[in-house]
Amino acid sequence: MKRAISRMIMYLVTFAVCFLLALPVISMFGTSLKTKTMAMSDLGMFPKFQDVYLGNFSKVLHVESFVKSIFNSIFVSVVAMIFCVLIAAFAGYAISRFKGKIFSGFIGLLLVLQMLPMMLTLIPMFMIYKGLGLNNTHAGLIVAYISFSLTFAIWLLKGFFDSVPMELEESGLIDGCSQFQAFIRIILPISKPGLATVAIFTFVRSWNEYMMARILIQTDELKTINLALQKFVQENLVDWSLLSAGAVIATVPTLLFLLFAQKYLVQGLMAGAVKG
Amino acid sequence: MQKKKKSKRLGYLMLLPALAVILLIQIYPFLDGFKLSFTNSNLLSPGKEKFIGVQNYIDILTKDKEFYSSLSFSFIYAISIVVFSYVLGMLIAALLNMNMKGRGIYRAVILMPWVIAPMVMAANWLWLLNDQFGLINHVLMELKIIEKPILFLTTRYMSRFTVTMIGVWKNLPFMTITLLAGMQGIPGELYEAARIDGGGKIKSFFYITLPSLRSVSKVSVTLLLIWAFNGFENIFLLTEGGPSGNTMVLPIYAYNTAFFRSKMGYASAASVLMLLCMIVLCLINQKFSRNNE
Repeated sequence: MKRAISRMIMYLVTFAVCFLLALPVISMFGTSLKTKTMAMSDLGMFPKFQDVYLGNFSKVLHVESFVKSIFNSIFVSVVAMIFCVLIAAFAGYAISRFKGKIFSGFIGLLLVLQMLPMMLTLIPMFMIYKGLGLNNTHAGLIVAYISFSLTFAIWLLKGFFDSVPMELEESGLIDGCSQFQAFIRIILPISKPGLATVAIFTFVRSWNEYMMARILIQTDELKTINLALQKFVQENLVDWSLLSAGAVIATVPTLLFLLFAQKYLVQGLMAGAVKG
Repeated sequence: MQKKKKSKRLGYLMLLPALAVILLIQIYPFLDGFKLSFTNSNLLSPGKEKFIGVQNYIDILTKDKEFYSSLSFSFIYAISIVVFSYVLGMLIAALLNMNMKGRGIYRAVILMPWVIAPMVMAANWLWLLNDQFGLINHVLMELKIIEKPILFLTTRYMSRFTVTMIGVWKNLPFMTITLLAGMQGIPGELYEAARIDGGGKIKSFFYITLPSLRSVSKVSVTLLLIWAFNGFENIFLLTEGGPSGNTMVLPIYAYNTAFFRSKMGYASAASVLMLLCMIVLCLINQKFSRNNE
């Protein structure tokens, strides 16, 4: 009996913690299902079942600038993701398989770079971009995003390659492949889950990023989804249900990511933190 | 021998693209920013950039009140986030480490504040904390805890408290998950042995769990300290540093100086000082954690 009660308390506390941490997300879904007036008058989290209103989603998807920003975000994030995964796969393999001063020095460099305040590189980067004509272009933002996610991507992929046994390449080498061929034909295909995780991870990072986009993009046409949402907040302070629908759409990739790649992300975090 | 040398060259070649990106997009701008901090570069007068030595630094350190107030709140903000996230993260991790059904789901839910876009979360907090229509004020009033709505983000101390708590909320998941991972790495035999020796659960937490988490704690506390100190988005999206500069932190201060007042050189100098402050903070943290051992 005492055991049962303590178990119940344990579950209750866990639910309370989860509720508090997820509160803004829950409220966002609730508000997106209300009409504009209901959002102001009905202060319950969710509307009553018969009052559920889906119009906000179709309305927000008819706001041209918002839809444009979704496509901008997809484009920028996908291109940054492809380059980032490619570059990180090479580098991650190199530091996983080769030993020596240069490789350990590179690992040290990755760690030190984590410390740089982003503002310190963004101010000069803005000036450099201005000189090169990259300011206010998607290309410039993509380049920034590649470097923004690269460190963590290399780190995660190194972890994945570390767990692939050396013997696999050695068998390839015996069959007459060069080591590079063995990497391309044997290691990369085996590491598909790892590559996919890193790909999703870098995609979500770029998709969610705000500060660089804010500094490097000025034209409405080129804005990413977060900038569009912010403009929304400033302009539509009265229509929170519409805004919430926009926010829900902006959250979809992240929620999918949580659903599918959470396990790997946690493993990556674990490996990074435990190994220190 | 010949073969080994050859294969190392492959390693260098594979490192090259990443190294090029890092050199061009992180190190070069960093050095350029350093150079910029010794000039009077201004966006409004392009091409008239002059080397002025350490004048920016002198101006900031001797005259700039806003710099000092941002600096002090930056310290308070970063340290509070680390302390609160660590204590709460430890409690939640201990809770999740117990034998429970559906652990994966809790873990996914708990990660939400950390992985969902800062803009999305800020917008929803603004809505929850709204003084007229916000759920939080509404609930507190219904429960008769308060009589008038609290102005969470527009009064001096309350705004500082609120942005810090939202910062804790945002960083708690990282702490929880890394500490949980550390706890799961502790061999079960240790607890077994403690139980046989008659130690209670609380005792084994202090004598087994905490000491085993030392290295994980060190890494995650340092990382979080850096992130919180360099963090821009959380406060910027909630208050932009207002009301009247009360929640201003160094990254926002540098941003405003560069992109609103167009003083690129001056802002770069402020960012360099920010880096120095952070290094000092990390050194203190390291010393502190070493003393604890």
